[in-house]
Amino acid sequence: MSGLVGPALATATGLAGVGAVAGAFTLERVRPALVGVATAGVGVAGLTAGLAALGGGAPWSASLPDLLPLAGVHLTVDALSGLFMAVSGAVVAPVALYGIGYTGHGVSARGTQAVLPVFAATLLLVPAASSVSSFLLLWELMAVTSLLLVLAEHRSRAAVRDAGVWYAVMTHLGLVALLIALALFAARAGGETFPALRAGAGEVPPAVRSTVFVLAVAAFASKAGTVPLHAWLPRAHPQAPSHVSALMSAAMVNLGVYGVIRVGFDLLGGGPRWWWLVLLTAGAVSAVYGMLQAAMATDVKQLLAYSTSENMGLVLIGAGAAGMFAAAGEHPLAALALAAALLHVVNHAAFKALLFCAAGSVLRATGVRDLDALGGLRARMPVTAGLFAVGALGAVALPPGNGFVSEWLLLESLVHGLGVPGTASAVTLPLAVAAIALSAGLAAATFVKALGVGFFARPRGAEAASARESPPVMLAGMGLLAAGCVALALVPGTLAGGLSDAVAATGLTGPDGPSDPSGPAGSDAGWALSDGGVDIRLDRLATTLSPLWVAVALAVAILAVATATRLLTRHPRRVGAELWDCGGGAPSARMQYTATSFAEPLQRVFDDVLAPEQDVDVTPTRESAYLVERVRFQRRIPDRIEYRLYRPVLAALAGVGASARKLANGSVHRYLGYGFSGLVAVLLVLAVTR
Amino acid sequence: MSTGTYTQLLDLACGVFLLAAVLVLWRRELTALVRLFAVQGVVLAAIAALSGIHEHRFELLAVAVGILVLRAGVLPYLMRRVLAASGETRETEPLVNVAASLLTAAALTLLAYAASRPLVELAPSPATRALPVGLAVVLIGFFTLVTRRRALAQAVGFLLLDNGITAMAFLATSGVPLIVELGVSFDVLLAVLVLQILTTRIHATFGGTDIDDLRELHD
Amino acid sequence: MSAVGTVAVLTQVTVVVAGAPLLTGLMRQVRARMEGRAGAGVGQPWRDLRKLLRKQPITPVGTGPAFRLAPLLLVATTLVVAALVPLASTATPVRDSADLLVVVTLLALGTVILALAGLDTGTAFGGMGASREMTVVALVEPTILLSVVALSIPAGSTNLPAIVAHGVHDPARLASPASLLAGVALAVVTLAETGRLPVDNPSTHLELTMIHEAMILEYAGGDLALIELGAQMRLTVLLGLLTSLFVPWGIATGTAAAALPLALALFAGKVALLGAGLAAAEVFWAKMRLFKVPELLAGSFLLALLAVGASFFLPGN
Repeated sequence: MSGLVGPALATATGLAGVGAVAGAFTLERVRPALVGVATAGVGVAGLTAGLAALGGGAPWSASLPDLLPLAGVHLTVDALSGLFMAVSGAVVAPVALYGIGYTGHGVSARGTQAVLPVFAATLLLVPAASSVSSFLLLWELMAVTSLLLVLAEHRSRAAVRDAGVWYAVMTHLGLVALLIALALFAARAGGETFPALRAGAGEVPPAVRSTVFVLAVAAFASKAGTVPLHAWLPRAHPQAPSHVSALMSAAMVNLGVYGVIRVGFDLLGGGPRWWWLVLLTAGAVSAVYGMLQAAMATDVKQLLAYSTSENMGLVLIGAGAAGMFAAAGEHPLAALALAAALLHVVNHAAFKALLFCAAGSVLRATGVRDLDALGGLRARMPVTAGLFAVGALGAVALPPGNGFVSEWLLLESLVHGLGVPGTASAVTLPLAVAAIALSAGLAAATFVKALGVGFFARPRGAEAASARESPPVMLAGMGLLAAGCVALALVPGTLAGGLSDAVAATGLTGPDGPSDPSGPAGSDAGWALSDGGVDIRLDRLATTLSPLWVAVALAVAILAVATATRLLTRHPRRVGAELWDCGGGAPSARMQYTATSFAEPLQRVFDDVLAPEQDVDVTPTRESAYLVERVRFQRRIPDRIEYRLYRPVLAALAGVGASARKLANGSVHRYLGYGFSGLVAVLLVLAVTR
Repeated sequence: MSTGTYTQLLDLACGVFLLAAVLVLWRRELTALVRLFAVQGVVLAAIAALSGIHEHRFELLAVAVGILVLRAGVLPYLMRRVLAASGETRETEPLVNVAASLLTAAALTLLAYAASRPLVELAPSPATRALPVGLAVVLIGFFTLVTRRRALAQAVGFLLLDNGITAMAFLATSGVPLIVELGVSFDVLLAVLVLQILTTRIHATFGGTDIDDLRELHD
Repeated sequence: MSAVGTVAVLTQVTVVVAGAPLLTGLMRQVRARMEGRAGAGVGQPWRDLRKLLRKQPITPVGTGPAFRLAPLLLVATTLVVAALVPLASTATPVRDSADLLVVVTLLALGTVILALAGLDTGTAFGGMGASREMTVVALVEPTILLSVVALSIPAGSTNLPAIVAHGVHDPARLASPASLLAGVALAVVTLAETGRLPVDNPSTHLELTMIHEAMILEYAGGDLALIELGAQMRLTVLLGLLTSLFVPWGIATGTAAAALPLALALFAGKVALLGAGLAAAEVFWAKMRLFKVPELLAGSFLLALLAVGASFFLPGN
């Protein structure tokens, strides 16, 4: 099977080139369609390559020494890379199809369309890189292309430029951290290809290993939107065109997780417990804080962006727990936790891509992202509403949604991790379970809000009242994603082999060698996804989840209840009725609950965490101070972490910048003097130290 | 008494001991705080009696009776008198709200568990395994002392702290010598008497026992 | 196992459906008697359901599929849960799927769809009820899952029949601090989930206080009958779950057919006793302010966390 990987990747790269050329040089009329088809081809090729790599066999690898001076480009696709490549491909293809219809707002401009296929290709190629220089090159290419795409609508909205600046600065600070980490690692390990790093990791002193891990995780976690390095994500994802948001939120953030797993587990070969405690804590904080912000958000795309932060937090909890278990020598359990994290990556990609596309569909039809001005869309855009509901069911982690399967697996791994001796697991794992549970509860409230306020009831504004359904090509793209969600929800067993191969590729199966952790019957400890459901067998327990069974049972029960009611009632036909109005006349659309009012009780409960800013402005009439002419009420819920953490840093930087101006007073002599004294200083240092 | 029953009863007593401390954070009525403290005194006496019976050290039974009289009888009685004199019935809004206090108590309990782990591992036995409970009560008592406004609630916090220390003494070493226990008990009694006088004075001066009012005395 | 097990599942579902309105009737009757009223009789909820089913079904203007589907889904999720929870026997054909996490998330699914239906009406009442209900659900979730963890540690599995069977075989476990704390925590969240006092008052229609009733204000006729039945079944199933977890005696663990009638009778008796006790307690309780509810839930969360902790602090023998 792995023979297919090379041709498929070559096809993907070729198609990306064709798409870029088509985007740059064709007429605006045909441009989106050509680029869309080419990008969809890139996605399909990536999916093929990924699946081929997951299908077993030796990892595919290639080396192109002439492509990059000095180091050359090295590519290797093992099962772990294959999994992430397949996820990226599976997201890119339907989203590209959707993008054909998602035009207007400056999205179909030459530059944007030319960059899109390149960005899609980098999403596939980053997991294939197998040397430090190729990885950094592709990583940076991905960052730059996504930045250009985020800026697509910069002419129409000032907020886009702001988001672009935040994204550019944070992603490049991340790159610097990553560059230092990997360069340090490569220097100590004596080689820059991944096999060399893997082989040399043992000789690297612990302090250096820890530095490498912390710096690399900071960079990767920032890409995955982990609190407190998340500030760019809720700005950039909502401001990008919706199909780009879908690609970023469903595929690009995954690569942050890929980086953590690749460097932490594979290249460094695991590490002390505190590494993983840090990762787990960061994940738990992101999960709760991200979802809390999402619950407060009224901008539907910002809500989805914060939910990405939450889901990546859950994945990092899984990865951190896996590391902890591995450090304690519990390898089957570690494999289970990592498999849960990877499964959640897949599930999140499916439902988040769908949700962003559906939100984009609404945005295109109404021009509004504010939930407070939406409503009543289920009558006007029934397909979009239905598809959003499918995605939301996945996101709330309730059966029979696809998110439930992976969160169940994650919770099971944590519950059984409590048996691992040691204070750290006994203290952190219950808290991690509580964090997952709180974020799941908040997710339920959030997505009830998004679906119920955004799509149900009556329109709250003229834009929502005049919305029309999106063109078929967008619906087709979303339909494919929804089909993926349903398949993942009902038959997660189809991923069994792929997941266990991917976990095995990280070297987590223990010192006994790469025994298959999901061996059908032979091994007594392990986990298995079968067509019927998920089985877990560890030495302390055995438990099963059968999502298909649950879905069928629910369907049967609904049918039974419906039939019984039909038989018992005497009136087969329903009649319309007025809404209850307390005798005060028909309730108007303005009397409905809005997203803000829906979230108000939660905001009050979490007042201490969210610290909302309230402003009441009462203007009395001129005649008397007791007669009120106007009351203005304003409330803002700023991202508190951003407020407390970033503002002081930015203010300090601005202060440094302002004081540095004194150095530049316009005198040419002074500037030349700086250069001269700098040169002398460097020479002096050299002379002294050497 | 078989080891199984002993362990079961000891676990139960320690559970109630911790629960009473947690409920002190939950309740606002000052009378309820006094009642909870009395319950905790009874349980503490039970812990002393249990370890006495289990280890056949019958002087501990005398200590248990002493604890019962002092902590479930005399001290609650004194506090009720203070309460009746001050005419206050409820804790005003504490410095940290109740929900956050309860979550902090959860965190403190986990901290107590993590911190006392090495001690438990020195000599694992049913009694030492319950050691974290004592430490948790100490921390919760300290937390009450820090966050509650009313003088009486603070007194209860202080006494919780002392109860926790005593419980740790019993669990770790099966009790301090009788004479030390007596000394400590008299100390506590004295402290409560001083607190009583202080509370009455604060009440007479400010018309309430909100400790924050003492800030006015700083110069 | 298969024949007796299948019979056990079918009879326990039937008993839950038929008995849920009776349980509510019993609780109302106990309450009425304690308040010095005569009461309407234990069978009144059944008579109410019959009356509602005879009425013309109506669709309020502007409501959509979610509004119509919600009553069906509410009852359906509860039916599935009633089949999964080992109320009468642990040796049933569905025992492999009877995961405690599945059970609690299925119940949450019923709540979520009802909240969506509340928002779907587009009235202030519907939105208010949905908003409050989802706030409570979000805060209840951590307690539930931590209690699940605490209960699954001794049994080594989150599989419900395994936990219940473990309790039957090792009754000493049930009196351990971990189990008691988890029991109290679960009892508190059961009150919150079923909308009983002190979190919500099932018999109020006052805007300031209502949660559940506000969501379902637009329902009438057969739909309302389903919602009422669904709510009553949820109460029955959750009380049944509590009895199965903490007083499991009498639940059949084998395949003997003779144990089944006894188990069902014991189940009915235990749930009736628990319900009557709850009704008697409610006479003395007042409803909490909505914004004091988080305190109650934080308390129950703490108890659940202590329950998990206690299984380490005080591991027994």
